[in-house]
Amino acid sequence: MSAHVLQVVRAGVVPYAEALAWQRALAQARLEGRLPHDVLLLLEHPSVLTLGRTSRETHVLRPEGIDVFEVERGGDVTYHGPGQLVGYPILDLAGHRKDLHWYLRTLEQALIDALAELGIAGVRNPGHTGVWTRGEGGVRKIASIGVHVKQWVTWHGFALNVTTDLAQFDRIVACGIPDVVMTSIERERGRGKGDGSIWDGTVAAVVRGFERAFGVTARSAELSPVVSHTLKGALGETLC
Amino acid sequence: MATTVFMEALSPTMEEGRLVKWHKREGDAVQVGETLAEVETDKAIMDLQARADGILRQVAVAEGQTVPVGKEIAVIVAPGETVGAGRGTGDEGRVAPSPAATVAAPSPAPRHSPPAAAAADAAPVKASPLARRMAKESGVDLKLLTGSGPGGRVVRRDLETAAARPAATVSASAPVAPVPPPPSPVPVSRTGAPYEDVPLTQIRKTIAKRLATSLGPVPHFFLTTEVDMERAAEARDALNRQLGDRGKVSFNDIILKATALALTKHRACNAWFQEDHIRYWNEVHIGMAVAVEDGLITPVIRNADVKPLLEIGREAGDLADKARSRRLQPHEYTGSTFSVSNLGMFDIDQFTAVINPPEAGIIAVGSIVQKPVVVDATVLPRRRMRITMSCDHRVIDGATGAGFLKTLKEMLENPLAMLL
Repeated sequence: MSAHVLQVVRAGVVPYAEALAWQRALAQARLEGRLPHDVLLLLEHPSVLTLGRTSRETHVLRPEGIDVFEVERGGDVTYHGPGQLVGYPILDLAGHRKDLHWYLRTLEQALIDALAELGIAGVRNPGHTGVWTRGEGGVRKIASIGVHVKQWVTWHGFALNVTTDLAQFDRIVACGIPDVVMTSIERERGRGKGDGSIWDGTVAAVVRGFERAFGVTARSAELSPVVSHTLKGALGETLC
Repeated sequence: MATTVFMEALSPTMEEGRLVKWHKREGDAVQVGETLAEVETDKAIMDLQARADGILRQVAVAEGQTVPVGKEIAVIVAPGETVGAGRGTGDEGRVAPSPAATVAAPSPAPRHSPPAAAAADAAPVKASPLARRMAKESGVDLKLLTGSGPGGRVVRRDLETAAARPAATVSASAPVAPVPPPPSPVPVSRTGAPYEDVPLTQIRKTIAKRLATSLGPVPHFFLTTEVDMERAAEARDALNRQLGDRGKVSFNDIILKATALALTKHRACNAWFQEDHIRYWNEVHIGMAVAVEDGLITPVIRNADVKPLLEIGREAGDLADKARSRRLQPHEYTGSTFSVSNLGMFDIDQFTAVINPPEAGIIAVGSIVQKPVVVDATVLPRRRMRITMSCDHRVIDGATGAGFLKTLKEMLENPLAMLL
């Protein structure tokens, strides 16, 4: 099987801790060779703050009423929540390039290509990994990136604001950059413009962005049905 | 031979790296492939792995410090080795920066290899991490083996070959305890008495006494397994389609039935601890924990192994109703030989249950959760369920409980196995 197949797994809304367990299990399978191709997990998290390895606690301003996780990815504190497309690529960089900076720049490129397809000009902000937009009053951040690599297998990834409630970022000094202005696809395109398909359109554009930037073929034929978190009531109404 | 640990270039454009977290400390034993530290460049964290076995020394970089690529950040030495002499050639073939001061040799670690092998100690043996672990566990001296892997690396098959040969190549000083094959499970006998009393043997008495003094009156231990429920779900759907309005089979019914059937193949888990003897039951009576208003009660489905699924379902429903309305008769909640507690419907992924004495075991069943799982070299969404078995160690040993749990898992993952 080609190393350049990318299996895209869409998983709906998944609690942060559970998605982290999935990533670690999939990365382990990729490391051990049980999984012969790359995977891109696409999902949303319920509201959560996560602190990367280089986060400062002073960057968490208002943690009230929200879960906080400390994790092994690079980068500072960030917010995840409804309306944000989170992507966790489980890639074996040995099949691409053993180069972390190349990986970060290519992740940015995939998102910049996706945004271009949606009519938004995404740019890099040298020294500040992530994807930004330029407008009146300077740059605004639309996607955050933080990754972990072990034996050249990646996990963690990116968070792209689609219809995210941007006020939630006021809880933190996002990415450790004071006064950073966050934005979303919805805000950049203007409300009400194709709202119904904004999520699906973004997902499709991101998958195509990955195909171009990483030179992979998304296996849409095996694109898994939406994985729901739990099957409530699956055990019937009897007992215990 | 000492191996220098450098700040590695994780990208050709990387000039410096920030050491964000040490996983090993000065003086820790490390093995090839183990994570020594996490290094950050830009917004990527990479594990820095040990390229040699030994003891971590001369940790020269503190957490949070940024150092240039190629800088020496620590040294891995053999136990008892002095840093400075004969160091240098790491696998990377890089030239080490000028050697630093000599570190005081730690007191020699106790040797397990015979004197004849000591001379060879200084040369590192190339071996895979798995082979190293196997060698350590079985007391085999790696230096006495000829590696058949790439570059003479000792790999698993070399250990397996060595294990199959007589003791000549095996280190004599480390006692090699032969692992006896686990006793083959005793099935329930369908003829004659409803149970058989087996007097406690001396070892059983000692196990009972020792373990009871260490943890409560019933010394529990726990075993967890994750079960793929896809085929059980398919079986349930197919049965319910066929049944139409004649009834419904639930996952709980399937779990009760599979548990009872698995017990018939593992009598050792279908037992009561009776102080001076163990009663091994030849009948299977499943207690089913039911939450009631001010607590819980465990009504019993008798001979669940021989009852059809529909009957188990009907009985379970009746008993649960009676339990909630407090109409259970004593004979309906006593005499179980094993219990099942299911909190799946409360969205509990995994939990442990307390044994219902004098039974020797109980399983705690979590919710069925769909997750992406690697199956046959691809990722598929699968419905998975976690089962945790609590065992009374006076009756059930680890391998015994694991054997039962394996049978139960097999039956749930392939419901046709229940017909075997």
